[in-house]
Amino acid sequence: MGVKGQLGLGAKFTLTVLIILVCTMAANTLYSLHTSTRFHEKQLVERGRALGRLISLVSPEAILGFDFLLLNEYTRQVSAQPDVVYGVILSPAGSPLSAYIDRVDPLVLARVPETASSDVLDLLRQLDNESELIRLEFPIVHNDEQLGRFLVGISKHTLQRESRRQLEVQVAALTVIVLFLSLAIYLAFRFNVLFPIQALISASRDVGRGQHALVQVKAEDELGQLAKAFNAMAEEVRKEQEKLHRQANFDTLTGLPNRLMALDRITHAISRSSRISHRFALFFIDLDNFKSVNDSLGHAVGDELLVATGARVQGILRDADTVARLGGDEFLVLVPDVINEFQAEEIAERLVRAISQPHVLSGRKVVARCSIGIVLFPENGDTVAALMANADNAMYQAKAAGQGSAIFFTEDMNTRLHERMQMEQDLNQALELGQFEVFFQPIFDAATRNHRGAEVLLRWNHPERGSISPSVFIPIAEATGQIVGIGDWVLEQTCLNWAAWQRVGFAPGFLAINISRVQFRKRFSRRLAELMATYGIPPQALELEITEGVLLDDHNHVAEELNSLRAAGVSLSLDDFGTGYSSLSYLKRFRFDVLKIDRSFVAGLPENSEDVSLVNAILAMAKGLGLDVVAEGVERQEQMTYLADQGCSLAQGYLLAQPMDRNAYQAFLEVARARDAHTPGGTRHKIMLAG
Amino acid sequence: MAVVFCLLLPFFALGAKSVVAADAPPLVLGVFPRLHASETTTRYGPMAEYLSERLGRKVVLVASRDFDAFWVGVEQARFDIVLYNQFHYIRSSNTYQVIAHNKEFGKSTLAGALYVRKDSNITSVGQLRGRTVLFGGGEDAMIGYIAPMYLLMKAGLTRSDINARFAVNPLNSVIGVHRKQADAAGSGDGAVEQPALQKVVNVDELTVLAVSDQLLHLPWAVRRTMAPGLRERIQSVLIDLDAGERGRQVLKAAVLTGIGKAEDKDYNPHRKMVRAVIGSQQIKP
Repeated sequence: MGVKGQLGLGAKFTLTVLIILVCTMAANTLYSLHTSTRFHEKQLVERGRALGRLISLVSPEAILGFDFLLLNEYTRQVSAQPDVVYGVILSPAGSPLSAYIDRVDPLVLARVPETASSDVLDLLRQLDNESELIRLEFPIVHNDEQLGRFLVGISKHTLQRESRRQLEVQVAALTVIVLFLSLAIYLAFRFNVLFPIQALISASRDVGRGQHALVQVKAEDELGQLAKAFNAMAEEVRKEQEKLHRQANFDTLTGLPNRLMALDRITHAISRSSRISHRFALFFIDLDNFKSVNDSLGHAVGDELLVATGARVQGILRDADTVARLGGDEFLVLVPDVINEFQAEEIAERLVRAISQPHVLSGRKVVARCSIGIVLFPENGDTVAALMANADNAMYQAKAAGQGSAIFFTEDMNTRLHERMQMEQDLNQALELGQFEVFFQPIFDAATRNHRGAEVLLRWNHPERGSISPSVFIPIAEATGQIVGIGDWVLEQTCLNWAAWQRVGFAPGFLAINISRVQFRKRFSRRLAELMATYGIPPQALELEITEGVLLDDHNHVAEELNSLRAAGVSLSLDDFGTGYSSLSYLKRFRFDVLKIDRSFVAGLPENSEDVSLVNAILAMAKGLGLDVVAEGVERQEQMTYLADQGCSLAQGYLLAQPMDRNAYQAFLEVARARDAHTPGGTRHKIMLAG
Repeated sequence: MAVVFCLLLPFFALGAKSVVAADAPPLVLGVFPRLHASETTTRYGPMAEYLSERLGRKVVLVASRDFDAFWVGVEQARFDIVLYNQFHYIRSSNTYQVIAHNKEFGKSTLAGALYVRKDSNITSVGQLRGRTVLFGGGEDAMIGYIAPMYLLMKAGLTRSDINARFAVNPLNSVIGVHRKQADAAGSGDGAVEQPALQKVVNVDELTVLAVSDQLLHLPWAVRRTMAPGLRERIQSVLIDLDAGERGRQVLKAAVLTGIGKAEDKDYNPHRKMVRAVIGSQQIKP
């Protein structure tokens, strides 16, 4: 940056004024130099004439009276002027009646050696040709008689010297005036222009930093109007920024700080706690089954519940604590200055209790549960991201632990999380790398133990971890959406194998395929119809196992899909009946063909009375609704006998057959075909090809 | 007259401040106007004040505008004390009585003289015949005209034998000769010694052609009707001026070195010259 760029407005203005004044002064000086000598010379001549005339007027009487002393006095008075070299009164004959010579004048001094005799006339003759001398002559007349002449010699040199001195004085005075004017202008400019502008600049910077100090308006001039306009603008900016700040940092529904502000406050808390070596706690709160509230009571009630929950949480916290809504049904509570885990635990319990208190929303009593993940700074992370991720992780662990749980984060959670993430990545490539394999677990008639079909099971042959159970990776695939591709692959493999076996004369029976709720959202029925058409699969060959969770989703869409599937002739099985909601209304609303009793109920048969009661009740209900029932996990003969006795139609389990790969199942089918060949009547449930 | 009155005013005022224990009217001091009135006042004001103090009676100085006005005052005896030319005294001696005379440059007398330039080649008075002679003062100037003219007459020349011109005072007549405005100058014998002259001309270029007899200097006279006691007191005060510091200051202001005693017969030589030059009718008995 150059010097010019560093100059302030005041300095530039003053410099400009100074340059103008100096130029003016210089021009004036040059003009004075050019004109003053001539002007002063003219003035000098005029003065000499005036003096000469005066002498001419007063001298006749003295000449007539031969008053030489008086004449001397006259000439002395005239010659007392610094620039007068001589004043001489000559008689008509040319002799001097009075003479005054300035003998220290340079013009005279130069001739003094030659005029040692003080001969005035001789000196006058020598000075006749002197260009530096102005010579004036005036007649002295009385009654028309010329009594003499008055001669005056004026030195130009003295005149020039006087002019220069006068010019120097003038320049000095002008310099002082210029400096004074510059200073005065600078001060006036500084106080009247610069200071208000600097105040505006400072205020503008404050506004830029979000501080809204107004500018003091001291005058009604243009700057004053500018200051007023600035103040009005700053006020508008302040209002707008407040609005934007609120929109950016606060949740519009609950009025609580939003995620952005929550992160900012956590950042601040980290900074503060690091400085004073204090702990703080974060509580990551997620309402359990909030979706069901929305679905069953409507979004308006759901919103009311969120608002009420936020207010209730805020009600039990201190002013220094922060409760924020992160989005959806997620809340975050920041509690600074937490001494230890017990204190955090106590707070978590209060949160759980407060949230669990019933609400009356739109005239209905609503009870919300929550899961809370707890992290402590600095033990559970020293960055915002780490703390949030760990709290989220802990919350998921709490959710897995059951409703109304609050769990502190542990490093083990992270380990599991990392494993899960790794699995997600591996899962992403498993399909392309051909690591998946379909297994088949045969399903038998409970009474006759004849083979009826098989449940298609998916295995993941991980190159490092070996075979991974679907119960491990299916939830991950559902959470990541990979289940769509995987499910489609399973469905195609099922159709492909069934068609292949059918072509070679096997009787694979029906193949039961588990359908994820995620697949249902992707127009599953259309895709199934395509595959059935492609591979020539009759609808009786497939049974779709649907968990109760599917039915929790959007009812209309689910109903449409189920109706489409039924229209296609595909059997529908309600899987894991009894472990979920087990709402009988589902059975009434959606038409199923088969109920599958979860292995957890079968395990206690026939010893456990509760399991016995439940299984009996399911069988009775299925019988009433005309549904087949498949008992899963039959591992002992007693279980099989009991189920058969109670009228359970189908069974699967290790007692009957373990899951087997394609080749093994094909071998199983070969054995079955051979046995059927030797058995009159053959397989009871022989699937007939359509058409 | 009005001018005289105006010139008197400051002295009236001055007199009013001066405490003089006398009921008598003030004495009037007249000084002949050979100088400007202001210069006359400067020189002789202290003298009047001194006289007032010593006489116990107010003395008022009158500086006349010109000789005519002064001479009217003399002729009408308006002055109680008067300082004037020797010729004036001679003319007014029937009314005034001389009591003292000036001493200038330490001398009680002076003589008339004729000056010429050294380069004029004039070495005798007779050579002035037909020449221009510049006299100092008018025809009533004792030293500037009467005495030099007496020297010319002694050389056999009359007024008509010369071209007589008059300068305003004796010094100017000498300057005029030096500046070649005349062939000779009538002046006092001490003219060339005067600093005022030496400042303006080179006196070495001048020479004295002739000198008259010594004549007593300017007279101080009082009205003859004045009481003898007062006259003597005035005379005593004047001639004793150089006896004290105060008196010497008065003398210095008047550019005098002293005042000497004089009586009427001391001016007979003057009467002789006047009678020769101007005629007997100008001389009162």
